[in-house]
Amino acid sequence: MVKAKNGIKITGREPPKIGVYICWCGINIGGVVDVPKLCDYARSLPGVSLASEYKFMCSDIGQGMIMEDIRAGKVNRVVVASCSPRMHEETFRRACEEGGLNKYLFEQANIREHCTWVTMNDVPGATRIAKDHIRMAIAKAGALKPLEITTVKVEPATLVVGAGIAGINAALDLANSGYKVYLVEKSPTVGGHMAQLDKTFPTMDCSSCITTPKMSEVARNPNIELMTYSEVVSLDGYVGNFQARIEKYPHYIDQDTCTGCGHCVDTCPVETGNEFELGMKPRKAIYLSFPQAVPGEYTIDMNHCIKCGICAEACPTSAVRYDDKPEYVDIKIGTIILATGYDPYDATRMHQYGFGRHKNVINALQMERLLSSYGPTEGKVKRPSDLKEPESIVWVQCVGSRDFTGRGRKYCSRVCCMYATKQARSYKEKHPNAQIFIFYIDLRAFGKGYEEFYMDTAKNYGIKFIRGRVAEILAGKNDNVIIRAEDTTLQRPLELEVDMVVLSIGLEPRADIDDIARIFNVTATKTEDGFLMEAHPKLRPVDTLTEGIFVAGNVVGPKDIPDTVAQAKAAASSASTLMSQGEVEIIPYYATVIDHKCAGCKSCIGLCPFKAITFNEIESVAEINDILCKGCGTCVAACPSKAIVQNHFDDAQILPMIETAIPRKLQKEEVKVE
Amino acid sequence: MASSDLKFALFLGCVIPNRYSFIERATKAVFEKFKIELIEMEGASCCPAPGVFRGFDIDTWLVVGARNITIAEELGLDIALMCNGCYGSLLEVNHTLKHDKEKKRMVNEHLAKIGREFKGIAKIRHVLDIMYHDIGPEKIRSRTKYGRKTPLNLNLALHYGCHLIKPRDIRPWNNEVENPTFFDELLEISGCKSLNYRDKFMCCGAGGGVRGAFKELSLDYTREKLENITAAKADAIVTCCPFCHLQFDLGQVEVNNIFKDKISAPFNIPVIYFTQLIGLAMGMKAEELGMIRSPDLKGVPPFTPVKPILTKIGESA
Repeated sequence: MVKAKNGIKITGREPPKIGVYICWCGINIGGVVDVPKLCDYARSLPGVSLASEYKFMCSDIGQGMIMEDIRAGKVNRVVVASCSPRMHEETFRRACEEGGLNKYLFEQANIREHCTWVTMNDVPGATRIAKDHIRMAIAKAGALKPLEITTVKVEPATLVVGAGIAGINAALDLANSGYKVYLVEKSPTVGGHMAQLDKTFPTMDCSSCITTPKMSEVARNPNIELMTYSEVVSLDGYVGNFQARIEKYPHYIDQDTCTGCGHCVDTCPVETGNEFELGMKPRKAIYLSFPQAVPGEYTIDMNHCIKCGICAEACPTSAVRYDDKPEYVDIKIGTIILATGYDPYDATRMHQYGFGRHKNVINALQMERLLSSYGPTEGKVKRPSDLKEPESIVWVQCVGSRDFTGRGRKYCSRVCCMYATKQARSYKEKHPNAQIFIFYIDLRAFGKGYEEFYMDTAKNYGIKFIRGRVAEILAGKNDNVIIRAEDTTLQRPLELEVDMVVLSIGLEPRADIDDIARIFNVTATKTEDGFLMEAHPKLRPVDTLTEGIFVAGNVVGPKDIPDTVAQAKAAASSASTLMSQGEVEIIPYYATVIDHKCAGCKSCIGLCPFKAITFNEIESVAEINDILCKGCGTCVAACPSKAIVQNHFDDAQILPMIETAIPRKLQKEEVKVE
Repeated sequence: MASSDLKFALFLGCVIPNRYSFIERATKAVFEKFKIELIEMEGASCCPAPGVFRGFDIDTWLVVGARNITIAEELGLDIALMCNGCYGSLLEVNHTLKHDKEKKRMVNEHLAKIGREFKGIAKIRHVLDIMYHDIGPEKIRSRTKYGRKTPLNLNLALHYGCHLIKPRDIRPWNNEVENPTFFDELLEISGCKSLNYRDKFMCCGAGGGVRGAFKELSLDYTREKLENITAAKADAIVTCCPFCHLQFDLGQVEVNNIFKDKISAPFNIPVIYFTQLIGLAMGMKAEELGMIRSPDLKGVPPFTPVKPILTKIGESA
């Protein structure tokens, strides 16, 4: 326990002397309920030795009141009736600690969010609710026990999952700070989606030109252990001491012997769709993802390989291994950064746009590949039906985004307005006579230089921006495409026949996001949109609720490259903050098993979402790892013999609260139960 | 599922008994083959029409609709109906009254005067819904497989109609409104091809009181649909609603007159109701399905002859 500055140490084992401090919060509380009267009420309750009020309890003066009373020996339990504990619990706890009181002998009654904010027009009602909250907090305060904080050592190594631009940046920052980094990537190469893009907005610099140096840097950095074509299959441990098991998929080629000559690819008779080119170019069953792939490791795709043996014969160094097996690697790390990215929205779900039915309706990621100088058409955009260079193209915005019909996602994907503008501009630069239209609902150009980029494109490139969501896309003559929409600025319906349509698809959570959440124990943080949720959307944007696990990039929600990189660097910084301390404090809310009560039924073990409970076969009792335990209380409620007690929330503390919340007398007289 | 246990109260609506009794005949004949009993609803009135009645007075629409539903409730049966308009009306009346206590109280006050009460226990089912979900494509396929010596092999232009699929949240089509395929799936079982024509999901032109109020405008819609259907080289138009049926059948004659100068050639595309087509695929005779008018059958014959397709499939008498 942290010793108080003045040397006084009150443990709380003495009989309770509860100090109640009621906050006005300006007019937030004081403008609705009569605070001095609440003080009088608090004084009348058993165990209360004093009750004070102040305009802002969270101010230095307010905190000083608490500290003084503790030091003067007037109080040994503190109740503050103010805002939500999420807001100021830590503030008041620190004040208690500084005054010399164990900080877990503090209890906060929320009479702002839970009371005066929601019942501001009903003064008697608000007063009654405030009294209830204060009474309950006092009841609990009397039964509080001092708790000790434990600390654990932190392993100075990080696991970064996903080697897109987010993972690459996080890994490089940590490696350059001297930490060991394991960078795990599912596909055979690093680079992620950014490697597929042609140019980046608003600067129009070549995406691969700025990505590839970073890609080779991660491969070269001595502190980074790059594991491509690998996946994290299980995770154990806790903040500072995680153990991860990584499966390395078999390449079926011995990477040490392979010289990367590519003879095998020339001889392989099997052709299948190239994922990197979104199916627009074939690849062989033995392949290298794309020319700049890092690491440049050849792989056999066993789903398509017919094991004819030709590549094995063609290989000058006999590197082909058909019997290659997956390898498992166990690593120890202190922190984890999840940067698993996104999936592009599958436009076939928007039936009215005919993606997959009309040949010349493509998605924007395919357009990126068509525009790319090392894409399937070497930068000459051609429409799929007849390989003609389109003379007219329509971009359809918000495909799968801002959709409330259930087939798309409700959120704005944040990048589509800008990438469509960028793609249209790229095409127009090479084809000045082409007719280009962008159909949008709202054009969102919010980033640095984005509005200027949009205005420049609209004014100087002759690209027509039409406000109106496209209603449907029909097949026209010669595989042309017909667009139907309403021009909402002119309030006129509109029909347009063009050579090709590009659907500006949104960004979705990865299809395997649930597996990721399950393996890394961040299931509980999944929000409505399907992405992983940050611990606090504004103040803890790269933390998860599982300590030691951070998030970066599109795994939390759609964002552009600058934001992704910023978040990656923030996650790296958060991880290194944790690791540089050497050890971390664990909140002592964990549950403990009372051995003599435990019947060894094991029902708690399967219920624990944090895998914190193990079974001691010798003693035949359950054991809870106090560091893994997050204090959710599931096992406490489930234990049939009431053998599990949770610190700070035990029955002796919760039952008096319930008891006093609805006293028997009140049940009969004041509270009318409908 | 033991289909022999199925029993529905058959709601006829207005157009079928007055104009196209063959729709009732064909539907009953086909359902009998699947051992589904259709019980008459004695005293049933107009649904009432969703566009016309609801458009003017929602409460009247609710009361009259609820009265019809109570007839089925008394029989203890769900309602089966053959018309998209009736489907829209009764389905939405039923839904509104099940969820709006205030409206239900108002309706039941009125119904009490004639000794009736809306309870909200009957389901409203389109025959297409029953065929697709209760009988199921597999069962129909097994019945059509040996029904005819030769498959029908027609090119058909399907028309879904409006009330059948929208609003989607209370309908059984899995939230699909933009590109539903259940009707196509059902009819392709017969061996025919469902054509993908331009603006397949456009309105026939009749609904919403448009035919009543602005006939020429309404027929202009029909003309556009007919042109698109002709461009796709359809042998016949298949409907699942008597009002759409009327608009395509009688409408062709009217379009040929009104838009003489606008169209390149007069239209003459047979229009058939989908149970007739399924009946044919199952090997039933054209007479049984009301496609060749027997002297005892009431109502009018189709305005646009269906003979061409009967000839094409060798069923012509």
